[in-house]
Amino acid sequence: MDISQIGSILIITLHAMVPICLTAVGEIIGETAGLFNIGLEGILLTSAFTGVLGAKAGGAVVGLLVGMGTGAIISLIFSVINTYWKGNQMITGIGINLFALGFVAFGLIVLGSPGFHPVPPEGRLVAIRTPWGRLSPIIFVTLIVPFVAHWFLNRTRAGLILKATGESPEAADVAGIRVNLVRLLATTFGGILAGLAGAYISVSWIGSVTKQISAGRGFISLATVVFSGLNPLLALLGAFVFGLFESIAIWIRNLPAARMIPWQFVAMIPYVVTLLVVSGAIGRVRFPKSLGKPYIRE
Amino acid sequence: MKRILTLLAVVLLGISLVGMIGLGNGKVALVLDVGGRGDLSFNDMGFWGAARAAEDFGLEVVDVSSATPADYLPNIQATSASGEYDLIIGVGFLLGDAMNAVAPNYPDQKYAAIDVDTFTANQPNIMNLVFKEEQMSALVGALGAMAAAHHGYRYVGAVLGMEIPVLFHFEAGYRFGMDWGLQKYMEHEGLAEKPEVGLLSVYTGSFDNIALGKSTTEAQLAQGAIAVYNVAGPLGIGDLEAITEYHLNARTETGPPYYFGVDANQDWMGFGMHTLASGMKLVDVAVYKAIESVVNGTFVGGSNVFELSNGGVKISKAKDLLDSIEAGLKGKRIEYADQYTIIENWAENRNTVPAWIWEAVDELEAAILDGSIVVPTANTTGEINAIRDKYPLL
Amino acid sequence: MRENQGTSESRLLRGVHRTLTGLHPALESLLAALVGMAVGAILMRIWGYNPWKAYAALFRGAYGSAFGRASSLARGVPLVFTAMTFAICMRAGMFNIGAEGQVFLGAAAAITVAFFHLPPGLHLIVGLVFAMIAGAAWSIGPALLKVTRGVHEVISTIMFNWIARFLVFFLVVNVLVDPRRAEKTLSIPVSARFPVLVSRTDLSYSIFLAIAFALVIYFVLWHTVVGYEIRAAGLNPTAARYGGINSKRTILLSFILGGIGAGLAGASIVMGQPPTYAMFSGLPMITNTGFDGMAVAMVGRNHPIGILVAAVFFGGLTAGGRTMQIFASTPLEVVRVVTGVIVITMAIPELLRIFPRIKGELVKILALIRKLHQKRASQSEESP
Repeated sequence: MDISQIGSILIITLHAMVPICLTAVGEIIGETAGLFNIGLEGILLTSAFTGVLGAKAGGAVVGLLVGMGTGAIISLIFSVINTYWKGNQMITGIGINLFALGFVAFGLIVLGSPGFHPVPPEGRLVAIRTPWGRLSPIIFVTLIVPFVAHWFLNRTRAGLILKATGESPEAADVAGIRVNLVRLLATTFGGILAGLAGAYISVSWIGSVTKQISAGRGFISLATVVFSGLNPLLALLGAFVFGLFESIAIWIRNLPAARMIPWQFVAMIPYVVTLLVVSGAIGRVRFPKSLGKPYIRE
Repeated sequence: MKRILTLLAVVLLGISLVGMIGLGNGKVALVLDVGGRGDLSFNDMGFWGAARAAEDFGLEVVDVSSATPADYLPNIQATSASGEYDLIIGVGFLLGDAMNAVAPNYPDQKYAAIDVDTFTANQPNIMNLVFKEEQMSALVGALGAMAAAHHGYRYVGAVLGMEIPVLFHFEAGYRFGMDWGLQKYMEHEGLAEKPEVGLLSVYTGSFDNIALGKSTTEAQLAQGAIAVYNVAGPLGIGDLEAITEYHLNARTETGPPYYFGVDANQDWMGFGMHTLASGMKLVDVAVYKAIESVVNGTFVGGSNVFELSNGGVKISKAKDLLDSIEAGLKGKRIEYADQYTIIENWAENRNTVPAWIWEAVDELEAAILDGSIVVPTANTTGEINAIRDKYPLL
Repeated sequence: MRENQGTSESRLLRGVHRTLTGLHPALESLLAALVGMAVGAILMRIWGYNPWKAYAALFRGAYGSAFGRASSLARGVPLVFTAMTFAICMRAGMFNIGAEGQVFLGAAAAITVAFFHLPPGLHLIVGLVFAMIAGAAWSIGPALLKVTRGVHEVISTIMFNWIARFLVFFLVVNVLVDPRRAEKTLSIPVSARFPVLVSRTDLSYSIFLAIAFALVIYFVLWHTVVGYEIRAAGLNPTAARYGGINSKRTILLSFILGGIGAGLAGASIVMGQPPTYAMFSGLPMITNTGFDGMAVAMVGRNHPIGILVAAVFFGGLTAGGRTMQIFASTPLEVVRVVTGVIVITMAIPELLRIFPRIKGELVKILALIRKLHQKRASQSEESP
């Protein structure tokens, strides 16, 4: 394997890392405030779809913005249900995933191209040339976002408020923090990042949207969040590791010599590694005490 | 005679079944598998063929998707029970069992099944439409192998879908063709042994994960593949995307790496710049012929094999490009202004492979047509493993 | 006479009131179903389909004919099992979304009966046992990870689902494969199949297994110590711990019980669904059974009886979605949109608040009816 092949693996890895990392960082912000959103998969799928619509109407940037808006709207619904209406976060999340599956498949039929819909070339985000392949500019955004999030969570007053809300909503409430509002804002912001990730998949990475373009990435992001222990920098690392194992698995499966190992076992690698990493990491991880529970003032 | 009697009975009973009478304005049901429309493969081509027949014969076509495979039986049962359809077409191997189970209960109902063979062949009211995919895949494989040897590439690539017999046909033919091409190259260049060209191939286990198609192709290109043969329907969108980006990045317009299209003629895609050829499997023609046979009253059950010799499968040529452009203009997939660019690009791309290789491909085609070469095929895991052992292409 | 009528009516009113209070959960599910269908209707309207026509076709197709009813029930059978998987763990306070992978393993294990011969009946039972063992075995992984390492079950079950998917992909193509037809596994032999209950439909005797399983789980949860412990752990984990309930044991037990259910779901599909009685490469037959079961469990309020009712409803949605597509040309994806909104709505406990209002309306309507009654009665008294 020479340098250009390593370069190629790296580029495939970076592209696969983006949606997982962005979604995970968004979820970290939401979980820090105490909301656990397993509807990320649905947000990715829906915003990948609306992102294409936006890109067709007004170009790549509009597509990304529409995707972020979609993420915001879905998360807003999610967080209203789970803050002011004290709903069940898991059930809401599962519902969002089911809804997205139907909504996108239905929408594709309405667009007249059931199954998939391409982004026209003029609607694609311009990529950067390198000797080993083209790089999406969103990769650089993804490399910055975790650092900003880390700074925000640990070095700002707002970050402290967020942590207080997730850790002890009662105390935060006594201290005059509007717990539900903080949670709503945090989750909505997380949704915006997931929306960006979804739109990235269609508008920048793949160039089209299909019925199941998210392909489990929302769930992988959740696992990454667990691995990270709500540290955005570790989420970046986790997303990179998952992307790396995914691209290595693809690499190995291609080779003629790999016929000796059934491809199904190679394809399992990223998930097995995630499982191992999560169960190894879990000992040191502490999550906010009120994570997943609605705040009910007594 | 039986039909007339039925009609008489119906008229006597005073029941209006206008839709069923006169085949001139009949109805055809197209039962699709879970992939549904938009797969650019079986389902879509099946629909296009039916739509064309509908236009020509003045029929109505209803396409019935299935949410889960548990729906196949009820879907075929429901369309059969309604008695409204002159022909019920099952698109895809998954529907075979359901059709086989229902057909005996409705002996007067006519059925056609695409990609379903052997186990329904004894059903007199099912027309089996099967293809010799190995034949055109052999031509594509030979082309790829010789081009790789010529341009000094180490591998030829293929991205496949799920492990099913239909795809084994493709793989078997592709492997055989590559081996034939390397032999040919060796003879033509006067080498002592076959050039070192291997096959990068992967079953993705998916017919819908375009992202996987793209990253698999990216990896294959980085690993040194000259071309990628799409044998996974919609994944080809991702395959071609990866190849297009590769060229954009290298600032090249034509030449290797190439894309090999599948099922439909995909030569026009991406402005004709990167598709060297398509392994065409004309599902639409098969569907059209099945409907036509019902309209003409020549419908017979049993196996209908579509192969090189009857134009059911083929490797794309200039005429196919013109046909697909015409269809693309009609279907608004291609802009009017772009058609000449596509043809120019296509010709330029084809010229990056020397003429003698194209002639060699024609030679193989002729040999398959006159029967002097029989392309091996595989239907079972054991058979495909035997072919992999025979043509390892490391 | 009139006096009498009045008391009977007030009794009726009281009865209605009591029933409404008692049926809160059921009414909530009903309301969620209505909200879901309303959102589906709005979406159809926006995208140019006729919702009335679509729903009419859907319900006619689902419940309007013997064939439709049989189809609806058949669709519901596997969902009962996977809904129980989710519900049991939910009762224990956990989110087990691993049914999907356990169904795969259960189905694969059931297929292995094709390798040997046994008398009819016994063959079927052996297949069911294999499926139960496989489903339970696959559920032990996430349970152990939770008990020993504290890994959240949502994460571990998702990973186990993916791994199961690829593992069964492998088994289908290389181990269980039909030597004559490589696209599928061996078919379950006739001696191990559930006989078809209604001929020319795909409803088989597996429906009785589903009902029996729901009743068994009902008995276990509400009439045994183990069930009490599971429910106690879910209602108040801290109190349960102080009450001397071994939380690790409850976690393991509820996962295993759930795994047995999911395994049976897999068996009910391959052993009870004509015509193939096998799995296909790529698992199209069984994909999503686990996830759809979660929706059924939620609408069924995680109660075995509620789940049976909800399964008939969701089975009807799926079966009717097909006729909706054929007769109203409306894509069946609408059904999934409706399901999603129903589930989201079910997440809102505040839904309860709406009921007093509905009750108020009902009281008003009853009063109106009584007034009309009185009027007519007085008229009829005057007229002669």
